[in-house]
Order: sequence, then C-alpha cells, then structure tokens
Amino acid sequence: MKTPLIKNQGFVQIAAPIAVGVVFLLLWELIVRALGIAPYILPDPVAIFEALVDNWGVLFHALWVTLTVTFFAFAISVVLGVACSLLFIQSKWIEVSFFPYAILMQVTPIVAIAPLIIIWINDTTWALVVCAVIMAIFPVISNTTLGLRSVDPNLLNMFRMYRASRWQELVRLRIPGALPYFFGGLRISSGLALIGAVVAEFVAGTGGAKAGLAYMILQSSYNLQIPKMFAALFLITATGILLFALMVWLSNLALRNWHDSAVKTEN
Amino acid sequence: MTMIREFSGTTMDTTERVSNREDVDVSNKVAPTGDKRPRRPVIQARNVDKVYGNGTTALKDATIDIKQGEFVSLLGPSGCGKSTLLRIMAGLGEASRGTIKWWEQDYDVVGEKGRKLAFVFQNATLMPWAKVRGNVRLPLDLEKYVAGDVDKRVEQALDMVGLSRFADAYPRELSGGMQMRASIARALVTQPNLLLMDEPFGALDEMTRNKLNDDVLRLWQENGWTIVFVTHSVYEAVYLSSRVVVMAARPGRIVEDIIIDEPFPRHPDFRVSQSFAQYCKQVSFALEKASAMGQEGKV
Repeated sequence: MKTPLIKNQGFVQIAAPIAVGVVFLLLWELIVRALGIAPYILPDPVAIFEALVDNWGVLFHALWVTLTVTFFAFAISVVLGVACSLLFIQSKWIEVSFFPYAILMQVTPIVAIAPLIIIWINDTTWALVVCAVIMAIFPVISNTTLGLRSVDPNLLNMFRMYRASRWQELVRLRIPGALPYFFGGLRISSGLALIGAVVAEFVAGTGGAKAGLAYMILQSSYNLQIPKMFAALFLITATGILLFALMVWLSNLALRNWHDSAVKTEN
Repeated sequence: MTMIREFSGTTMDTTERVSNREDVDVSNKVAPTGDKRPRRPVIQARNVDKVYGNGTTALKDATIDIKQGEFVSLLGPSGCGKSTLLRIMAGLGEASRGTIKWWEQDYDVVGEKGRKLAFVFQNATLMPWAKVRGNVRLPLDLEKYVAGDVDKRVEQALDMVGLSRFADAYPRELSGGMQMRASIARALVTQPNLLLMDEPFGALDEMTRNKLNDDVLRLWQENGWTIVFVTHSVYEAVYLSSRVVVMAARPGRIVEDIIIDEPFPRHPDFRVSQSFAQYCKQVSFALEKASAMGQEGKV
C-alpha cells in the first residue's frame, strides 16, 4: 500500500515550514493592505518581490560579494579551528593555556573591534574576512575539541592495549568519533560566518564594486527604499538558511550509516 | 538411575576437592581440562594491591596463579575488585603494590609469539562508524607486522562466531548478542593465548547468554586458550569454568578458590545435573560468606 503523502517524513519536513511561510506572507500582505500601511514603514511581500526583481543585478552582485567573504571566512574558520583543536588535544597544558583566548575571541563584540581591523588591514575584503573568522571560528574549535576528547574510554584502552601509535589513535579513533561534534560546529559556524560578514560590512560601509548586502541595506534605508532593503534582507536570510541546509546535508552524508542524528529509523 | 549414581559420586569428590584458599596452596592446583601435563603459569599475581587516588582500596593482597589452558572465573559482589584485577592482568592498570608476571616475565613479553593477550569488555565496545569487518580487523591493522593473510584471518574469526553474513553490517544494525560476537571475533583475530573477559554477557538475555557461553567454551577448547572470565553469575561461573575464584568486597580480595571438577566439553545437560546444582550451592555459599565479610569489612 502506498504511504499517504502526509505520513511521508521527507515531504512533511519540506512542506510544513513552507506552509507556515506562505500563511505568514499572506497574513502580512492582508494586514498591510487592510491597514493601508505606507511602504516606507512596512512594505507588503509583493512590493518586496517587485523590488527584488527590479534591482536583481545590483542585489545579486552584492550577494556575490557577501558570499565571497562568507565563504573565505567559513573555510578559514574550519581549517584554523580544526588545526587549533588538534593542537589542544596534544596536551592538556596547551589547551589550558590557549583555550581562554579562544573564548576571548568569542565574547569580544565584533562591532567593537571591526573598525580597528579595518584600519589595520588595507584590503577591505580581507579585513571583512578576518572579522567574520573571529565570529565563526569558536564553534568549530569548541565542538571539535570536545569531540576529539569524547572518546569511549574502553575503545581508547583497546587501542593502547594493541599498542596503537598516536597517529593511529588520532586517525582511526578520535577523528571519526569527533565527526558528529564537528558537523554540529559547522552548522553554527556557517551562520556566524555570514552574520560576521554582514556586521563587518556595516562597520566598513564599503560602497562601489565591493558593496555587499549590508551596504545595500544601509543605502536603501538612507534613501527610504524600504522594499529594496527588505529584498536585501531576504537574500541574507535565504543565504543563511541555504548554508544551514547544506551543512545538514553534508553531516547526513558523512554520518548516515552510523550516527543516531543521521540514521533513519523505523519504529 | 545410572545418571544419578554418577552425579552423586562426582558430588562427593567435589566436596572433598573444594578448598579454602587459606589452607591450600592455590598455585599448585591443576584444573581438570583433560590434559595432565604440567601447566606453565600464564599469570602470576603476588600480593597485589590497588589503591585509587581518592584513597579507595579496590584490591588488597590478591595472589593468584592462572595456568596455561585454564578457564578461571572471577566471581564476587559489586565492588570486590574483580574487574580491577582483570584490568591489571591486561596491563590496563598498574598495581599499587605487589608483583604480576605474564608468562613468568614482565609485561613487555605480551604481544610476542605465543604470548598474545586479548580483552573483551563488558560492552561490545565497537567503533560505530566501522563495519563489523573493519572492527574485527582493527587489531591487525594496528599491528606493524601481521603474519599470514589479514583478510583470511578476519574471515576465519567472523566464521568462528557465526557472523560471516554480517561482515558488512554496521554495529547499530546488530542485536546486542551479535555485537558481543563481533567483539569476541575482534579478540580472536589476534589468535590470543590469553583471553580476558570482563562480564561480557552481563547485559544480554538468558538465552543469548547461554548460547554465547557454549560458543566461548567451544572456542576455548578448540584453540587451547587460557581464559579469565569476570562474572557475577554463579551459574555462568560454574558452567564455564575449570576454577572459580570467589572474591569479597571492601576491600576487594580473593577469599576462595574452587575447582569445578567436571569434564569438558560441557553440554547444556550439565546445567540441569545434580552435580551442577551442588557446585552452584557450594559457590553460592562461598559467595554469601564473601558478601557477609564485605559487609563487616573484615580482611
């Protein structure tokens, strides 16, 4: 017998949030129209869509700029974050000495230090990348270190009993065991890389060919082009959701055979 | 009637042979595994203490000899130090006092030809990300040099525990009993001479446990291993062992050493025999005495 669509897990996962979104947009449209709210205060979804289509060339270019910064920041965060974690697990001394500084980066408000970084680094793109890295790197370090340390003590005993080298212990035991934690870190870090890029763009206020989505929002708000501002905002959130979905997909791909978070179970 | 006479005869013998550690030199006992040749000691522990950092004495003055080909069960209440003693035998923990020898030498000898040691944990302790085959193969992959065809040895080990059909399954796809079999196969693949098992079947249902008990006995006989088996089940200890070492808690110590003078191979019929009941009674009595000693905290 064919399973009804409503009981299909995959269908529900996609359809349910879309349905909520559609209802929300409909309500938004109805309320704006019914109350006659001015577009410079709250534009209706149709106006936002029109602004998106009308300004697609400029907005797409801005999106591309923001995406470039996000991508580099995320890639550097992953590589540097994993390297730091691998260093931390080499000795408790290293971890104890350096981990507080990793936390320091996490708790320092990026808007407070972004102007300094922009002054220090001549190239604006790289200055933005550095700001976004500072925001995105901590979840990678924190989660991966936790994962590399969370080894089944009996498995570790067994590796030691069979006289495994440190390299074998790392490659065959610690790294595979840390993957679920690592991917958890990636989900958070990908979003933070985007937020970091946008926040840094706000501070830098770069226009011209290097104008990102944040600059589009700033410029639109100055010119009272509120639908265009919402269109840029929509692109940022859509990018964030897509990045998150990509990380979930990657995580499921890597863990689908063995980890509870990715294995499909039937009850 | 014949059966009853035979069993009652054995029971009398047993009563005579069962001994208390205090009045018999345990190290000279030879377990009834059919082979009458003098057996070389595999493990010699002398006055072993284990005191943890927080001051808890897990083990006090443990002296025990395990000889080649024996199947020795360490039996006792929780906290009697049986797992601690087993871990010290495996080299997974160091004794705070006393000495321990492996094949009459220091721990460095472990791993040499004819002196291989394998450990089966309480849980299957499999790598969830690796297939059964990968898990079983692990000890060979970790060794620098492995004699013979690695794949063949893995297949043989899987075949011995009846898991050949599940070589490409992930551990999570197996039942608890099958996971334990995979864990045993991983121990077998190294072709060990000494197998240390820490309550391996404690979490399994009775039917699976009985089946695995028979499998372990069969493999022990076929391969001529020495096994030290930790359990808290009197029935399991009596059914499997050539010797049952009873331990008491607070502090953990050896209090009795009982020879189970029943021939091998043992069959499920043994579980319902009179002599089995007698041995269980004997061991239970020793265990009760050990528990009472533990509560009183006497050494």
